[in-house]
Amino acid sequence: MSKTMTVKLPAKQLMSCGEVSCEVLVNPIPRPEPDPIKITLKPKAPRVTLLDHKKPNSLAILQFTQQILRERGIEVGDMILQKDDASTPMPAALLASLSKEPGLVLCGVSD
Amino acid sequence: MSHGVLDDIEKCMDSGWTDGLPVIPPYGSLVDPMLEAMGWRGQDVVGVIAEQSIKVRAEQVAAAAVMAGCKPEYAPVLRALTQAILDPLFNVSGVEVTTGGASVLVIVSGPVVAALGFEHEANAVGGANSRVNATVGRFAQMLRLFCGRGGGVLESHGTIGHPGRLSFCIAEHPETVWGPFHTQFGLPAQASAVSIMASEGPNSCNNHYAKIGAEILDTVGDCMMHLGQTAWYYRSSGFVVAIAPDHMDLVRRDFSRDAARQYIYENARRQTDELVKAGRIAIPPLEYAEVEFGAMRTPLKFIEQLTFVECGASGGRFSAVIPRWAGSRNVVCKQIEGL
Repeated sequence: MSKTMTVKLPAKQLMSCGEVSCEVLVNPIPRPEPDPIKITLKPKAPRVTLLDHKKPNSLAILQFTQQILRERGIEVGDMILQKDDASTPMPAALLASLSKEPGLVLCGVSD
Repeated sequence: MSHGVLDDIEKCMDSGWTDGLPVIPPYGSLVDPMLEAMGWRGQDVVGVIAEQSIKVRAEQVAAAAVMAGCKPEYAPVLRALTQAILDPLFNVSGVEVTTGGASVLVIVSGPVVAALGFEHEANAVGGANSRVNATVGRFAQMLRLFCGRGGGVLESHGTIGHPGRLSFCIAEHPETVWGPFHTQFGLPAQASAVSIMASEGPNSCNNHYAKIGAEILDTVGDCMMHLGQTAWYYRSSGFVVAIAPDHMDLVRRDFSRDAARQYIYENARRQTDELVKAGRIAIPPLEYAEVEFGAMRTPLKFIEQLTFVECGASGGRFSAVIPRWAGSRNVVCKQIEGL
């Protein structure tokens, strides 16, 4: 059973206050400092690309997904792309290639 | 303790600055001496997690050390430990978010063990009730939690986890039979070192009546190849065997470390078809799982994936087998400088 997705981010700053003054506590939690990024909210093309990260049963789930989407008339790439394994970050070349994909990329599924 | 400090502890607990247990509030007056002992300035970037666009700064690490209850004299260990956890080879975000519920297993070896008073005998694998073991282990888990979660935007998906996710630090005996743990990773025997890997929880491994070392190693090997071992399908990680003195007394008579490793590698095997029947191997098999139907299968792809750490008390015939997390491809071993 899934829990309600209400992620509460850790505080950015905490103060310790006495009667006359306050002291800032040192924040132990680093936060992302990304360069500006452009986010496309809607796919530019009505097409789905599937990526298997090789978790147990992930390929079977993606093949089933491919079948269901096609039955619903949605264009899905024939090839299910492969990532070496789920425990390592996406290779830069694959990430760069996927970032140019105008449709929706579906990845990270497993049982 | 004033009510102010108690209020600050509660404030940390309520604001996500915690591993779930009360922390020492990271006051600047405590963080500054920790930073100085670590040899860093507050804004120094001590690690980068490129995939999360995160730069980890020294003051954040020092704050975590204070919060975990570490003393500034632990700083040489904490500095090396920080470098190990933030080494891209460790993949700290992967360790944090995996369904595998992994922890950071910390192994401290060499003269540092005696110098800082690590407990390496009673309850050496966990629960030694020693401040240095508990807080160094806790610091490692805090870095995993604080740095691995992308500033709080990621979640851990650990399915069951294990208690080591709060603290998991093993100190090796200062005097070893087979040489210090870190010599298995190319560091000189006289060095002090901290080694980390992502791991599942330890399995106790008991044999009170063995008469020869091979029987102990058979027991260890059997512990590595139960049906539920995660290793069966990928074989990408490995195992650490924490071998205690009474078992070692028998094993050392007939085996060097390399010979013990070879013995387990050759003998701890299970019929592949039985693993398939039990649903432990993907059908069709993944290419890199290198499945040979009908053959005996080892949970180790390479013999180097099996390592030994010598620890624990005399007087009981126990050892422990610690499976590394399936995605833990690397043991990151750093020499401790400045002791």
